Amino acid sequence: MRRISVFGRDSITPSLALVYALMVLVFSLINPRFFSLGNFKAIMASLAISGIVAIGLTPVILTRNFDISIGSIFGLGMVVVAKLFNIPGTAIPIPVIILAGLSVGVVIGAINGFLITRVGINSIIVTLGTLAIFRGLTFYWSLSNISIPKEAFLRLGRYFVFDVVPLPFIYFIVLLVMGYFLLRYTPTGRNMYLVGANPTAARLAGIKISRSQFIPFIISGFMAALGGVINASQVGFANSTFGTGYEFKILTIVVLGGISLNGGRGTLPGVFFATLIIGSISNGLALIDIPINWRDAFIGIILIVAISVDSLQHQMKTTGVFKSSKRNTILLKDKTV
Amino acid sequence: MPGMKKRAIPDTAILLIFLVALTALFSTTGRNFFTYANISTMLNNMVVAGIIAIAITPLIITRGLDISFGASLSLSTVIMAMLYDRGTPQLTCLLIGLLLPIFVALFNGVLAEYLNLIPLILTLATTSILIAVGQVLTNGRSILMITDELFNFATKSPFIIPYPVVILILILLVYWYFLSFTKTGKQIYFIGANPRAAKLSGMRVKFIKIALYLAMGLVTGIAAIIMVSLSGIGYIYHGNNLTLPVLSAVFLGGMSLAGGEGSIWKTVIGVTIITVIFTGLSLMNIQFYFIQIFQGLALVIIVAFYEIRKNRQVAK
Repeated sequence: MRRISVFGRDSITPSLALVYALMVLVFSLINPRFFSLGNFKAIMASLAISGIVAIGLTPVILTRNFDISIGSIFGLGMVVVAKLFNIPGTAIPIPVIILAGLSVGVVIGAINGFLITRVGINSIIVTLGTLAIFRGLTFYWSLSNISIPKEAFLRLGRYFVFDVVPLPFIYFIVLLVMGYFLLRYTPTGRNMYLVGANPTAARLAGIKISRSQFIPFIISGFMAALGGVINASQVGFANSTFGTGYEFKILTIVVLGGISLNGGRGTLPGVFFATLIIGSISNGLALIDIPINWRDAFIGIILIVAISVDSLQHQMKTTGVFKSSKRNTILLKDKTV
Repeated sequence: MPGMKKRAIPDTAILLIFLVALTALFSTTGRNFFTYANISTMLNNMVVAGIIAIAITPLIITRGLDISFGASLSLSTVIMAMLYDRGTPQLTCLLIGLLLPIFVALFNGVLAEYLNLIPLILTLATTSILIAVGQVLTNGRSILMITDELFNFATKSPFIIPYPVVILILILLVYWYFLSFTKTGKQIYFIGANPRAAKLSGMRVKFIKIALYLAMGLVTGIAAIIMVSLSGIGYIYHGNNLTLPVLSAVFLGGMSLAGGEGSIWKTVIGVTIITVIFTGLSLMNIQFYFIQIFQGLALVIIVAFYEIRKNRQVAK
């Protein structure tokens, strides 16, 4: 009973896998070059980064909040790392630099989380403010390109395991599995689902709501900064424009992946296939001779379709009063058992 | 007003004190703050952001939201300039530029209301589609559209102040009257405070909300025309520096995304604060990224301040 009510059968994942397969088929039929190992390697290397940031955003959406500052965190993470590689006279060890980049994300995530869960400001307003503040800081630190001269660091983003699998893709898979277990099998993760699905019931069941909503912002900040650090090692430089408008792409991946905007529904395997779909689009469009400028229009249409499906599903689930009250009692039992 | 609690010192008063202090600060540091030239520049900066912030206010009161105004305005300026470039009569260009944002608003409003979509996400998607169309049309280049009529419109008028400022004041008065003194205005607050109760009591909630989206589209169209006449170009990135100030201004003024709260005057104070920060820091030759940091900080700090006050009020 418990498993059905909280996690449901993950109905969206198979259909997303099907959509992805169809997409690959169509792109490959139009241009056979799409279906080549070299091309898949390129796609996997670049989509891994947005996939990692999308994993980070997932718990925020699950607990009914938004984080639109991820693009700024992503950019600031890149710039901090690049800056630290370019301090004249000193060579800071690579792990320290990476740690510094990641702590940027954790600190901003904590600021967001504090203002949202302790002070009680709406998450859109808070992250709109931090988006502006930290984008401004990024501009201040890097008006021109900062290159990263360290070869060992660049390999972290550019290396291919067995000459086939890009290293970032492996990070992505590892984080995906970790995230899946965190959300599904730990009390922390399960509480996030409960809080997202029904905050009132969760509160009555004795769950600390503010804690369950605070942790996701730390995760989201950390993962956005991690995405920035990996991106820095992949492109080999940083400037102030990286990550601008990134929140739109990531949000599309998360919503397309079946994470409901009404909270508490959806799982990470869906996000995985959504990452594949969105990540393959720009590459595929380029190969079938559609101008790259159209890419965001395509992603926008996908986002509208995805939220429409989500909304219709939500309406169907909540139309019966009896149904929803029954669902609440199951959730309550779930905690007290 | 429904949803408003009586407090010892109202938030608006504190906001006004903050504004006065800010202005005083800038007039001591920035030497030219109170000159006529500066004030008129400031008003011009304020017009486009101001009328959009005013139009978005009742929409947010009813729990709606439309953040595609920047993209909608930009695409409209691009279309106007392109049509004019190909020899279309000026009036036709302006009319099309006025209508385009209304169609976008219709799309947003109908989808948000009839499919029950979260307007923030929906209009984020619309934004990306509109920007993409603009980029395909122009490849990111700006297109000139300079005419005598538009120049005169932007700079002159039979009154002391130029036409764009006159339009700002007119739109302000219309929205203020509409929200404060009409039956529909009261209904708007009711819908925001409790949409279900509003629907059950027989209000045409969807109709009113879509009408507010359309009104916002019309205002965005007007803003697009003002933008073209002030800048002389159609440019798909016009709106890039618009979205953040407008939303900051609205939330600074104390609007809540939970609906049912807010007023035109609060928005006006919010817009003024954002403009004063922008102009004051620009006069001190401070880089744009610091201005962005200050605006972001002002937003977070002031909204946090409201929230803390509200929590204390509840605790008493």
